[in-house]
Amino acid sequence: MERQTSLLASRGVTDDSDVLLSADDPLADLQERCGGTVPGMLAVPELLELVREGRRLGLKIAREFTAYDGEAMVSGFVRIHPRDPDSGEGCELLIENWQTRGIQEPSSRETAARLDAIDRACAEVTARLNEDQRIQLINARAADAEQLEDRVAKAPGSVWTDHVTLRGMGLQQPIHWRLLDGVQCRVPGSARGWRARLLPIGPSGSDPRGFELLLVADHPLPDVPNESGDQDPAPSHAQLIEGSLTPVLRQPIARIIANAETIRARLAGPLMAEYSEYAGNIASAGQHLNGLLDDLADLEVVEAPDFSTEREAVDLGDAARRAGGILGVRARAKNIELVTPIAEARHIATGEYRRVLQILINLIGNAIAYSPENSVVTIKALPGERKGNVSLIICDEGPGIEPGEAERIFNKFERLGREGDGGSGLGLYISSRLAEAMDGMLDIANPGEEGAQFRLTLPLYSGS
Amino acid sequence: MTSAGDTLVETVLRDELARADRALSSVAPVLGHILANSGDALVSDAIVARVRGMLIDLARQFVARLPVEGFEGEAQAADPIDTLAQRFAQDAPMLASLHSAAIEGILAERLEQRAGLDPVLSPLWQELIASSDPMTAETAMQALAAQSRFMQSQRRMQHPVSDLSPETLERALRIWARGTPAEKEADATAAIRGFKADYDEAASRTGLIARLMARMGAGAIAALELEHAGLALFTSALAQLSDQSRERAVLACFDRQSARLALGLRAAGLDAQGVERQFVTLGPTERLPRGLEALSAHSARAMLQSSRLAASEVALR
Repeated sequence: MERQTSLLASRGVTDDSDVLLSADDPLADLQERCGGTVPGMLAVPELLELVREGRRLGLKIAREFTAYDGEAMVSGFVRIHPRDPDSGEGCELLIENWQTRGIQEPSSRETAARLDAIDRACAEVTARLNEDQRIQLINARAADAEQLEDRVAKAPGSVWTDHVTLRGMGLQQPIHWRLLDGVQCRVPGSARGWRARLLPIGPSGSDPRGFELLLVADHPLPDVPNESGDQDPAPSHAQLIEGSLTPVLRQPIARIIANAETIRARLAGPLMAEYSEYAGNIASAGQHLNGLLDDLADLEVVEAPDFSTEREAVDLGDAARRAGGILGVRARAKNIELVTPIAEARHIATGEYRRVLQILINLIGNAIAYSPENSVVTIKALPGERKGNVSLIICDEGPGIEPGEAERIFNKFERLGREGDGGSGLGLYISSRLAEAMDGMLDIANPGEEGAQFRLTLPLYSGS
Repeated sequence: MTSAGDTLVETVLRDELARADRALSSVAPVLGHILANSGDALVSDAIVARVRGMLIDLARQFVARLPVEGFEGEAQAADPIDTLAQRFAQDAPMLASLHSAAIEGILAERLEQRAGLDPVLSPLWQELIASSDPMTAETAMQALAAQSRFMQSQRRMQHPVSDLSPETLERALRIWARGTPAEKEADATAAIRGFKADYDEAASRTGLIARLMARMGAGAIAALELEHAGLALFTSALAQLSDQSRERAVLACFDRQSARLALGLRAAGLDAQGVERQFVTLGPTERLPRGLEALSAHSARAMLQSSRLAASEVALR
């Protein structure tokens, strides 16, 4: 059991609604691992309870606390000092004696028992089988498993594998139950994926008297609202993506990435280098899919009829430097030098800072991706071609954009014949829609020339 | 219950009668308990005397800042200290807290007589003071000073406000504020603020010991050896490692609470022989149940948490 002790005390400050306003490193780290931000609502439940208690009592309290940070148990001794009510009713937290302790791995038998219990609780179809895996009794709770229940009712005493489609299993019954335990399968009439569990009944696992069959779906059925007269109109494809597709896809993709990373890092044990590499490929493919989902979600936002942006003063040079900072690592990996505008030259545009940053990250990211190694990407801020405009030009040393392509490149799903580089063909389209929403535009400054120059033009800021 | 036609004297007498009924009805169980446990009982003359002494001492400390005038609907004692002490005595959580302090004091003295355990400086405490880590050594020294003050005030049947738990202090402050004269509200607010500003749980005896335990980390299990750690560290470690309040852990060490003690030690991760050693040192009359080693720490904890007292403790918060 690894154990780290830090002697450093960590200080944090909360306000009267338990928002953590500032925090030293270990506390900020714990806050983020518990899903919070700084500043943000105190996300460590144990600390939140203590802070509330301290505020309620108006007394300095001192307690030991233990929290789970996602990987390990963190404990420490926290002193909570409620501030004087006159100066805002927040608290000061002083945490000393941080200790991190790995979770004690339960024995494999305990783990197996717990997994069985979880599956029993989650199973939406349960059945009792005899020793030949024939169904004696079936009980389906899920609406999409009714068909299965009917089929079983029509064929009493049949083997359970006759009614479901086993995946990745070319064998015919009789199959030893240990091979079937945990198998993925399809259930007639259900669109969901299912996992079968066979739990032996009887005194010994080697010669069971019968089995408990559990069918566990890979995700719950969405709650179907009561079918009434005033049904929502059919969702547009955009709503379909954000409303239905994205949430369903996010989790499995996140799981693919996490599992592939686990394999790649050989956390579960030694592995041949090739396999670790394959896992790395799976993880990066998963990350591309995730990026695509982000793009699709953005697409829905920019295509919504009521999409609008804020009107605030945006210092283009500052935005460019910020975007350059974010992409610095990626640029250094290809030994590309990012030249950003100097701080003195101020070109203030009207737009929404966040959106401008999003466009710049897309453009600079593309420039890095299509530039040769050891080259320079230059970002220049300058007055626009027409009066009342300002521009940012991102110049790279990659292959230029042909005049014909310069038109098409901002189209939706336009890939210009490039495949397999992980792009979705949506980035530039989204960026140009964002620029338009801010009364600006995105174009190619030098079609036909070597080294692409993408130009973002925005109205000059006219306010004081 | 008061019908419209009652005269004032009737109302007063009716209330007085109800109070007298309550007093009489509590005689039998209390007397029964004392008679049945002629030796060391959870409620004995010594404990009653200590709790009363501590209540009066606490009341004295509050009244010194601002005297109470009296409480609505209650007979007023001649002395504001007695008035406040009587009112404190009606608050069950406050009583429970002081009861536990009294038990700890009595137990510590008894262990000194029976087993020669120093109620203040134990071998473990000595080791902690000699620790190479200056923070641990300093905390241990501060905690030791607080422990020595505690034993001293126990002998005098006193209890400093600064050693109350924050929850108890808050209750006491509220009760006290209700009894202060209405026209002195500003003074009362200022006095409450003063009490709150002076208080710091981290500087209280139990707070200091808890800090010390936290510094010991997993080594805190070493404090589960009563002879080595002494009662104060032992009960703090027991509370912390078995997820009980310290007050509960103190009570577990007293007579007729051996089930709670056995479960607590088991939940804290002590093996059956370890549990037996603590029983021998404490010398309770009951025997340890057989087959304790078969009980997992997890189930011991679950049993403790499902006990009725634990449930009522949560409800009180």
